[in-house]
Amino acid sequence: MGFCLAAVGAVAGPAEIAQIKPRQDKLRDMGGALKAIDDELKKRTVDWDNVVVPNTQTIKDRSGYLLNWFPKGSGPESGVKTYALPAIWQKNDDFVKLGKAMQAEAAKFAQVAGTKNPDALRTESTALGKACKACHDNYRSPDYEKENED
Amino acid sequence: MSAVPVMDETATPAKLRIWDGPTRLMHWLLVVLIAVCWWSGIQDQLQVHLYAGYGILWIVVLRLYWGFAGSSTARFAHFVRGPRHMLDYARTLHRRDSAHSYGHNPLGAISVLVMLGVVLAVVGLGLFAVDVDGLYSGPLSSFVSFRTGRHLAHLHYRWFEYLLAVIALHLAAVVFYYIYKRQNLVFPMISGSRTVAGPVEEDLRTVPVWRLIVGAAIASAVVWAVVYGYYYFS
Repeated sequence: MGFCLAAVGAVAGPAEIAQIKPRQDKLRDMGGALKAIDDELKKRTVDWDNVVVPNTQTIKDRSGYLLNWFPKGSGPESGVKTYALPAIWQKNDDFVKLGKAMQAEAAKFAQVAGTKNPDALRTESTALGKACKACHDNYRSPDYEKENED
Repeated sequence: MSAVPVMDETATPAKLRIWDGPTRLMHWLLVVLIAVCWWSGIQDQLQVHLYAGYGILWIVVLRLYWGFAGSSTARFAHFVRGPRHMLDYARTLHRRDSAHSYGHNPLGAISVLVMLGVVLAVVGLGLFAVDVDGLYSGPLSSFVSFRTGRHLAHLHYRWFEYLLAVIALHLAAVVFYYIYKRQNLVFPMISGSRTVAGPVEEDLRTVPVWRLIVGAAIASAVVWAVVYGYYYFS
């Protein structure tokens, strides 16, 4: 067992390990941006220019780099605390497909925000949420719910 | 919360009213909604989770009001006593022939207060909690950052585990009373009454329906203010 772990651990280099923390920070920023939009859309007067549009842009911009944040070796075998499951690299074609679908939804989300139509953005927010969740359901450890992520 | 005699089979049985309708309804609604919250939390059905949580908040607020304005056995003054009273009762716990308590017994009083407190803590934390994707959040989460909202979500989860422990203790006590002391506590919480050796010396003092309507209106106003109030005025 120890030998196996050592062998797997050898795959992870410093460059891959260095991806993990920034990846978590950037994903957290995306979650924070979605929360800010969600909070704003609940209000009777929505601040589109200062809150909604910039945050949709943050999600869109970050999503463009999303697939670069998961180099092989940056999973749990690195020894660093991460909820990224090995399935990301075992079923990488599917992971990439879902990542690209999320990028498309994020671009659409930013586009709809430009129309400043709250109902349309709420609908698109649900679609984006589903795209995020599709990946999280299969490629993120459910342990995230039990532990503090910090 | 005086003790009443256990049933004497030679006497004419009489029906003793213990719990009013609202108290029973709140109890069982709370059971159902906690189960819904548990299920929806596990299944990631967070919209359902939110609505069930609002329902729980409504019940807790109404129960607190009912503890001051409701019928006799629902009132806190009826069952919340000092530690000495509780210790005296605890000393008789091992006796199989001890008398039924009318309403909550002194240890049951602790159970009610702890249960209400822990449920309120879980709901309170949930109001500020944010899910990991930022897709769903409690209605007061606008007041906290994403990171703080996540921390509160974990505390929400942790306190739910404490709530499960309190529920387990409550169920264990009910089973203990049923098996060891031959006292069925569940049936009165369904029917509202228990059969005792007559005549009945103490009866439930009910209150007019308008008090319940006022309580329901207050609870609804509190839930509305918590869930929509901030957004309505902003």
